[in-house]
Amino acid sequence: MPEQFHPGTGAQSDVEISLREVSKRYPGSDADAVRPLSIDIARGEFLVLVGPSGCGKTTTLRMINRLVEPSGGEIWVAGKNTAHVDPDELRRQIGYVIQQVGLLPHLSIGENVGLVPKMLDWSKERIRQRVDELLDLVGLDPDTYRSRYPKQLSGGQQQRVGVARALAADPPVMLMDEPFGAIDPITRGHLQDEFLKLQARIRKTIVFVTHDIDEALRLGDRIAIFDEDARLAQLDTPLAILTSPADEFVRSFIGDGAAIRRLSLLRVGDLPAVPETSTGTGIEVDPGETVSAVLEKILAAGLDSAVVRGRGSLTVRDMLLATAARDESAVVS
Amino acid sequence: MTRALGLRDNATAQASAEAAPRSSFVLPLVAGLLVAGVLIYIQVADLDAIEARSLAFGELLVRLGEHVRLVIVSTLVVVALGVPLGILLSRPAAGPLQAPVLAVANAGQAIPSIGILVLLALLFDVGFAMAVISLVVYALLPVLRNTMVGLRHVDRSIIDAARGMGMGSRRILFTVELPLAVPVMLAGIRVALILNVGVATLATYTDAGGLGDLIERGIVFYRMPILLSGCLLTIALALLVDWLAGVAETRLRPRGL
Repeated sequence: MPEQFHPGTGAQSDVEISLREVSKRYPGSDADAVRPLSIDIARGEFLVLVGPSGCGKTTTLRMINRLVEPSGGEIWVAGKNTAHVDPDELRRQIGYVIQQVGLLPHLSIGENVGLVPKMLDWSKERIRQRVDELLDLVGLDPDTYRSRYPKQLSGGQQQRVGVARALAADPPVMLMDEPFGAIDPITRGHLQDEFLKLQARIRKTIVFVTHDIDEALRLGDRIAIFDEDARLAQLDTPLAILTSPADEFVRSFIGDGAAIRRLSLLRVGDLPAVPETSTGTGIEVDPGETVSAVLEKILAAGLDSAVVRGRGSLTVRDMLLATAARDESAVVS
Repeated sequence: MTRALGLRDNATAQASAEAAPRSSFVLPLVAGLLVAGVLIYIQVADLDAIEARSLAFGELLVRLGEHVRLVIVSTLVVVALGVPLGILLSRPAAGPLQAPVLAVANAGQAIPSIGILVLLALLFDVGFAMAVISLVVYALLPVLRNTMVGLRHVDRSIIDAARGMGMGSRRILFTVELPLAVPVMLAGIRVALILNVGVATLATYTDAGGLGDLIERGIVFYRMPILLSGCLLTIALALLVDWLAGVAETRLRPRGL
């Protein structure tokens, strides 16, 4: 039996995944598919790898669970060098979700979700309970869906099952390779929202690959942007990336409208408000609400200002100017 | 080579896809009518001594039994050889062996069975075993090829997901690849079965009996009733076996596919 893998018992308590000078060069190629890359990913962090195709983001992801073996460097997960852990053992402790979902078509939804627990020799009863719990968690009624087959489900439903399956053994780490990439835009939006809510509850350490910068900005705690030559162009929070793109590539990759998009990432509580005693002017909002949500409320109510609970009042003009002039240091993401 | 193989793969895959709605009763009905027709003809026709002896009910049953036994045994051997061999050849490590083994299997099907039968009889002996060997040589290719094709056509992303969940290659073979390859493999086994029903009529030349006995005797003695009965019964058997194989194919196909 190879070295046992115990998630969550790492020596460094706050770093779950550590990439140390990890690189990949495929045989016969004269360029690195992944250039030496070092990133520490904190426990419970949602890191998005984004970039055009061929930038090495998927290769990087697949090196974490050793579906691709690194050519150089080390990857540590939960305080263990993955090179010294049996690959199958390692993968059973890491959730894996891919764009094509990859449900086994000849197994029922319940059996698909229970695959990893079964490999870990859980009892039948425990697997059954876990399957129902997970189907519930991803918004599928267990009684309706447990014994259906994958082809009877829509693409969005299948990917919910894919997420449930990845969560089955409660792994501390999830790797997701464009999980919502093949789903229609409306359903994708729903799934993103739901997944954010789910993540707020389960706090997994997630590495998520996408080529869609909007998805990255929406989901990530931090975003790593790679360019076509597999160079890490910028690694930062969504707000910081929108506020100060590291270079021309990042700027063009973000595209137009960075200032407007920042509005949905900034919270009104972070803006300097004018202390005000009277609250009679109209609507009162929570400091945790985003600037764009508050603007929407103010404009919809036909007003020109709002009172931030416990802070003071903000006018539309204040908000727009303060947003535009913000420097990164004052921002709490 | 691979290209040509690919074309044939498609044909096989299509044949297996069409198999599903074939559980109609046309085939067994035709087979039943053929058998009934032969039996009635034997009863009412004016048969001479040779014809009467060859077409006695007991005699027919013996020939049919020999034929069915040849088909079953040779098909079992073909499956026992072809499926494991196909699995081994589809493993990445066996890549370089694929082409030569397929070439041999191709040659096996290209050589007429009657040639193999006569060769075996000259070199070794006549009898049941020799008949089975020549049937196996002839029918191995479809089972071997369809096993490989079935495994190769399993969706890569499903295997990727399975690996990503921590399944080892043996577990992937048995819980993912083989179940998903079953429909194509079954189509190959069905082809082998039908080939065997037909080719087993030649077993009479190596003294292994079968319905071919009737055909051969009909020709040698120039007795149309015997020749015709042998032909019609063989056809009826082939139709029945094909129908049974089709039903089995539908039944054995994993649910959810």
